[in-house]
Amino acid sequence: MPPKISLKKLDRRGGLFEGVKSNIHTLALGVKYLVDPQRSTLLYPKEYIEHRPGYRGFIIFIKDKCISCAACARICPSAAMKMVRVTEIDPKHPDKPRQKQYPVINYQRCIFCGFCVDVCPTEALYHVPFHDIVYENLADMFLSLEMFQVEPQRPATSEGLPVVYEVDEIKGLVKRRKS
Amino acid sequence: MILDPILYLIAYPPLWQVLILGFLGSLAVAMVAIWFERKAAARVQRRIGPYWASPALGGFLNIIADMVRYVLQQLIIPGTVDRLTFYVAPIAAFIVSILPVIFIPLSSRPEFWPVASMDYSLLIALALSTLPPLLIIAAGWSSNNKFAVIGSMRESYVITAYELVAVVSILSASAATLTFNLVHIVDAQQPFKWLIILNPIAFLAAVLAVLMSTSAFPFEIPESEHEVVAGPYTEYSGALYAFNMGGAYVRRFVYALIIALVFLGGWAPYVPGPGPITGYVIPSIIVVLKALIIVLFISFLRAVYGRYRLDQALGAAWRLAIPLAIVGFGWSLLLAYIGVFH
Ligand code: SF4
Ligand code: SF4
Repeated sequence: MPPKISLKKLDRRGGLFEGVKSNIHTLALGVKYLVDPQRSTLLYPKEYIEHRPGYRGFIIFIKDKCISCAACARICPSAAMKMVRVTEIDPKHPDKPRQKQYPVINYQRCIFCGFCVDVCPTEALYHVPFHDIVYENLADMFLSLEMFQVEPQRPATSEGLPVVYEVDEIKGLVKRRKS
Repeated sequence: MILDPILYLIAYPPLWQVLILGFLGSLAVAMVAIWFERKAAARVQRRIGPYWASPALGGFLNIIADMVRYVLQQLIIPGTVDRLTFYVAPIAAFIVSILPVIFIPLSSRPEFWPVASMDYSLLIALALSTLPPLLIIAAGWSSNNKFAVIGSMRESYVITAYELVAVVSILSASAATLTFNLVHIVDAQQPFKWLIILNPIAFLAAVLAVLMSTSAFPFEIPESEHEVVAGPYTEYSGALYAFNMGGAYVRRFVYALIIALVFLGGWAPYVPGPGPITGYVIPSIIVVLKALIIVLFISFLRAVYGRYRLDQALGAAWRLAIPLAIVGFGWSLLLAYIGVFH
């Protein structure tokens, strides 16, 4: 014998009175927000989000700190980080050029996981706290060793104002201008 | 004065009422309504809405840009449609939607009526305002597309729900004032004996009927875009789609005009004086402003309500709206019996 399905009876709330009350409540709530809106849209070029410290944005490389251990390239889960071989001339021994390896990054692949920054033993990599940059073509996203060391300019900072999002217990997500 | 002939020409009823108020007025009202609908919904839903086209105007130019786009867009006619009906239905629906304006008086002075006699004007305006849904069904049917056909079927179901409510609730004004003449109905409400105060039940039923007939939220059933793309208008593009969409707003405006006359006292408490300005332009602006308030209220509902299922809407209409309308009608008979208006 198949098991008997027992449907849970939902108590239908109220009758006409409840219906009228809830409709009036709906309208009142709508009018309240219409008069006093709490918007959370970011007016992007006019405002930009000021991220907290620790935000994993674009990655900058400091060549002088790097010991060419390749830990960053090995840990990268999406193979965005690659080691390139360059020939360097040490000022102390100008007659003996050296082969060294340094990492370069491909932002077509990077998922901003931050593993490379965490794993680097000498803190030769660090994040900048934003990732709103536009590249005009795909090839530009494969940074050269020189580009990898330049901290990029955030485009919104020139005309926008910084804002932060905060969680308010009653209002939910609220946007605040930073003074 | 040299201005007088020009004033009389502008205030010539067919020109002023049909072209300026009926066509341009409803176009402007539709634009304001669409803008308010998007803006109000955005404010309630924590967004900003149209903005970048003109930040100072709250993004109003965005609506004009949309209209220009509709007019200039390529008109795609699918090969499988019934061509004649496909072309004619939306345009005819738009024109028929404006027609009731001819029978809506905007002044108590006979020289400013578009037709010679305003007896039975309420009946005629109501009858004309029930025509466009049939043309919308024809438009959907001629599209030969499953979404359009489903949308048309939904429209025809919804007609059965609201038609009775609209007619009974609006005619309750006739029951109270013992006339079908819109001018007499308005004059009976002078200065503040408005039917919305004396008979709010009928007003509520009338607004419900308008919501259903113009597929406003929460009864946006025929063209609910999550379920049937755009309902009867699925196959339309460009200017023909603009006719379809504008037609819905024009109908909303015309219904709002009727309701403003019948329930909100028309041009009351103002008493039209002689001459085109005091006798025609000012009262018509008062009526249009009252109608605009109703249109904006209907637009605002989009922000707060979800959409009923078809069966829920029919149930709400037959279980709630029709009893409401009948109670409102009885209430009007009571008002007439007590003799409030006489
Ligand atoms: S952030 Fe992650 S994905 Fe990007 S380069 Fe570093 S390890 Fe690779
Ligand atoms: S982990 Fe750090 S030190 Fe090692 S190669 Fe990468 S950047 Fe250089």
